[in-house]
Amino acid sequence: MRKLMNAEVMEHTMRLRQMGADVQVINSKMCFVLFQVGEIDVAYCYNVNKKGRYFLERIKPYPLALREFEREQDVIDIIEIDLDQFRNASKSHNIDNFIQINRMIHRTLRKFEDLFLYYNVPPEKADFILEHMREINLEIDKTKASAERVYFKKNPDNL
Amino acid sequence: MSIFSNSRQIFIWEVCGVLQNQLAIAVGVFTITYVIIMSEKLNRTAVAMVGAFLMLILNVESQEQAIEHIDFNTIGLLVGMMIIVNIMKKSGIFEYIAIKAAKLSKGDPWRILVSFAAITAVASALLDNVTTILLIVPVTLVITDTLRLNPIPFLVPEILIANIGGTATLIGDPPNIMIGSATGLGFLDFVVNLAPVVIVIFVVTMLLFKLIYGKQYYCEDKDKLKILQMNENLAIKDMLLLKKSVVVLFMTIIGFLLHQALGYESATIALFFGALLLLVSGVDVEDVFLEIEWPTIFFFLSLFILVGALEGVGVMEFLAAKLLSFTEGNLLMTAMVILWVSAIASSFLDNIPFVATMIPLIKSLAAMSTINVGPLWWALALGACLGGNGTLVGASANVIVSGMISRHGQKLSFVDYLKVGFPLMIISVIISSIYLIVFYV
Repeated sequence: MRKLMNAEVMEHTMRLRQMGADVQVINSKMCFVLFQVGEIDVAYCYNVNKKGRYFLERIKPYPLALREFEREQDVIDIIEIDLDQFRNASKSHNIDNFIQINRMIHRTLRKFEDLFLYYNVPPEKADFILEHMREINLEIDKTKASAERVYFKKNPDNL
Repeated sequence: MSIFSNSRQIFIWEVCGVLQNQLAIAVGVFTITYVIIMSEKLNRTAVAMVGAFLMLILNVESQEQAIEHIDFNTIGLLVGMMIIVNIMKKSGIFEYIAIKAAKLSKGDPWRILVSFAAITAVASALLDNVTTILLIVPVTLVITDTLRLNPIPFLVPEILIANIGGTATLIGDPPNIMIGSATGLGFLDFVVNLAPVVIVIFVVTMLLFKLIYGKQYYCEDKDKLKILQMNENLAIKDMLLLKKSVVVLFMTIIGFLLHQALGYESATIALFFGALLLLVSGVDVEDVFLEIEWPTIFFFLSLFILVGALEGVGVMEFLAAKLLSFTEGNLLMTAMVILWVSAIASSFLDNIPFVATMIPLIKSLAAMSTINVGPLWWALALGACLGGNGTLVGASANVIVSGMISRHGQKLSFVDYLKVGFPLMIISVIISSIYLIVFYV
């Protein structure tokens, strides 16, 4: 199997190089992590390489590129906090809405990307979408201001 | 006196009993191990290792004897060449050569196939067949995709040519490495005795492929243009590494040509230049060792122990005597039996365990008769290497290409391959028979 993988990498590398890319092939380990939080699957994927870089991504219940870390412990800490937050959130009666909204945001993002990459979008339509995005952001800020904070182990990264 | 005589008789019976037990155990373990390996139901390395160590656990041979049976020259040669190839392929040299060849062929599919077949044959003669296939097939898939052609009429010839090219040299195919190591036959001996017939088989096989797949080697001019627009220089990942690798490979080949004259084993040459390239290339040594095919190495180690155990209990002498009585000591008859049995067996079975068993058998034959066994080694090499072309499971290279084709979304079935591979294998063995009869027997 390893031989077939290497041959496939060679084929891809050759195609990408012909397209003008610089391709670095790095030996690494890919780890898939799955937790069961109530009825929700919370899954992560992270990559460990010899350069001491860790690429962590949440896959379920909705995808989120979490970022690059320099220490293995950071990866475990982030997963621990994220999981803890999901455990808390799972007790909320809003959990289904929360997951549905997040999935919709991701689907909307992909559709929006397709819209701009495949079609010539009139400026007024772009402005209209931007205005709606501002409204949603404002609504999130207003909700935060009026809602009770329930998690204190770590401060929010984006709010 | 009578008490002494009786106790001696009892001692002899006990020894005979132990020997018979050992014989039965050795044959039993060996047969079961081989049957499981051939069934391909379980991993061959794991099965061979269990079989080998059962021989030790059941006291057929001691650990010291088992270690003595291991041919470390074969193991060293395999590891040394794997190190060199694993470093060399990081430079992008194979992709460079292939794109250059495709451009020199002006994008013409048949000419591309001929040039790729020539590259495959030469590479296979210098590297092992599986490595050659793993290097040439990805490039071929890129080229056939660019030409919008079915890759199978390109990949099937490459399978056959890899196995044919590997027959030409000591280092081209594991059976040859094993034969060379067991007999002391050197790199030049293999080239002088096998390369001429391999060249004839190569030419005949390619002509037959033109007849078989001829209509499929056509494409549109606009696709040919895409090949001409490819840039071979973009394939080079590390020019300095490429230069170092080429110089070391060249020195390794010179080393192989001179190893007998200099009094070195082939493994010494391969491991020395492998180590030298590790040192000067600056690549991550751990990465290179990660790519060494350890399962193959342990498969070989285990086979040597298994066959050594069989040899120790006298099975090889028994089989050699049977072969001698069947062929009545006639060299022509013996050579033909070895050639054809090896070819047919290697079409369906793994040729490495087969050759591992045949080597001590031929050695026993040499010890028991006045037959000149020299031609028998060439018959074994030709049969075992060319026989692998007969079916899709005949050689590791065939299985790997089949896997690569299916990962590419297409299918090369056992029967589809058999229709092409088996007749061409038979033709190559007929050519080998004529060659052996004319020049050796």
